[in-house]
Amino acid sequence: MLLKNTWNELVKILAKPRSYIGFGALTLLIGIILLAMKADGKSFISFVTASFEQTLSFNGEILNGNLMAFVILQMLIIHVPLLVALVTGDLVSGEAAMGTLRMMATKPISRSAILGSKLLAGAIYTFLLTLWMAFMAYGVGQWMFGVGDLIVLNSDGLVVLPADDIMWRYFYGFGLAFLSLLAVATMSICFSVFSDNSIGPIVSTMAVIILFTIIGSLDVASFVSIQPFLLTTHMASWRSLFEMPVPVDDILSSIYILLFHIIAFAGIAFWRFNKKDINT
Amino acid sequence: MIKAFLLTSILLGWNYIFAQDAQVLLRQVVDKIELVKDYSANVQITADIPLIKILPSKAKIYFKGPDKFKVVSKGIAILPKQGFTDMNLFLSKPDDYMVVFAGKKMIESVETTLLTVIANESDAEIILVKLWVDASRRLIMASEITTRSSGNVKIDYKYANNKSFDLPSRIKFTVDVKEFKMPKSFSTNPHKTNKSKVNKRKTGTIELLISNYKVNQGIANSFFVK
Repeated sequence: MLLKNTWNELVKILAKPRSYIGFGALTLLIGIILLAMKADGKSFISFVTASFEQTLSFNGEILNGNLMAFVILQMLIIHVPLLVALVTGDLVSGEAAMGTLRMMATKPISRSAILGSKLLAGAIYTFLLTLWMAFMAYGVGQWMFGVGDLIVLNSDGLVVLPADDIMWRYFYGFGLAFLSLLAVATMSICFSVFSDNSIGPIVSTMAVIILFTIIGSLDVASFVSIQPFLLTTHMASWRSLFEMPVPVDDILSSIYILLFHIIAFAGIAFWRFNKKDINT
Repeated sequence: MIKAFLLTSILLGWNYIFAQDAQVLLRQVVDKIELVKDYSANVQITADIPLIKILPSKAKIYFKGPDKFKVVSKGIAILPKQGFTDMNLFLSKPDDYMVVFAGKKMIESVETTLLTVIANESDAEIILVKLWVDASRRLIMASEITTRSSGNVKIDYKYANNKSFDLPSRIKFTVDVKEFKMPKSFSTNPHKTNKSKVNKRKTGTIELLISNYKVNQGIANSFFVK
């Protein structure tokens, strides 16, 4: 019953025009970034290596598909949550607003199964969006710019990763990006359970993301202690996969914190949905 | 008065003789370098530079005198900006510098003569070059280039099979590293804090293991056009 209902939920998601906004926006954004880099990428590269170029010369094709995927993932990981929340924030509250939630609750399926199927459908949608982002950023990027060593600027300086040691990093990197977006999706579904209109959960999700991002970026003593527990802090944990050596323990701790967020939001959503008076 | 005059004359004469010797020795070294019109070679580059993490990489280098140089590598290869063609180019113009003999030094059981080459022009990019020369073989064993924009570059040479052409099989560059500032937007990582970024080291080394020299086989100028 859960799987059948999940399929129904996916059909409902596919039937809504807003579900395609994410794919369209990603295609447009990534397309623009790739074309801009193709036209004027050299100046971007010199910005990255400028500090070193007085003493050293960098030889080889720095502007390549691997760098493009890195740049795109870095640019979009903060903005894609909006595209996810646009769909997942509507999953429960949208039905409540239309009055179909009440009808669903009369069917021989438990409330937990109803919400479970919505969470699963939301996860599948998030996965497909991440997969599309990976295809556009990594696949199209490699097609347009070719393969090459990856030069990454991080807090420790420059890391140059050989081309044959990169693909697995992106595999796990996009996996971590999916986990981050899944946490956002679960949060928006959790907010959606508390609301009877679509706008509230979507805007609330974005407000939380913006608030957490600001708290995470401020070097204020009182915020430093809470920064390690914020969802947005760990949305950038994929970058650690491009360190040398890879800090496995740090990445695992980020995964645990993201999983904790997912379980906590899902738990709150189940608790609320099972006790909710469905009046509409 | 006469004694003082004689002493000054002797000292000046002595210096002149030494300067002449230094100039002759340097000319011999440069003549030997200039026997190489062009070359290509395989290199393995190992860089140990503060704030840069890079595994050893392989590349092919091409040189054509007096100043054409190209690196072809499959991946990213980091090389020093100074020290390849600029020193040879500088030394090939004797009117642009003066050279003085500055002592002797043992480098790996080889007695070397230290030549200090000083640029005549006050605004020249290369200000000073110190050369430790194996006078018997007319080989540069080590050098130190002081530049206006890139600081100091120390270079140690080792020779194996290409002694006749004065081409080294190993070159080790020691370069000055300035304090690099990371743009924060490029360095966001939850597992790294900017406070942990303390690196006191001020120099880095780049070691080149060079093999498979192909000397004076002719390389077209168009090959060096970017």
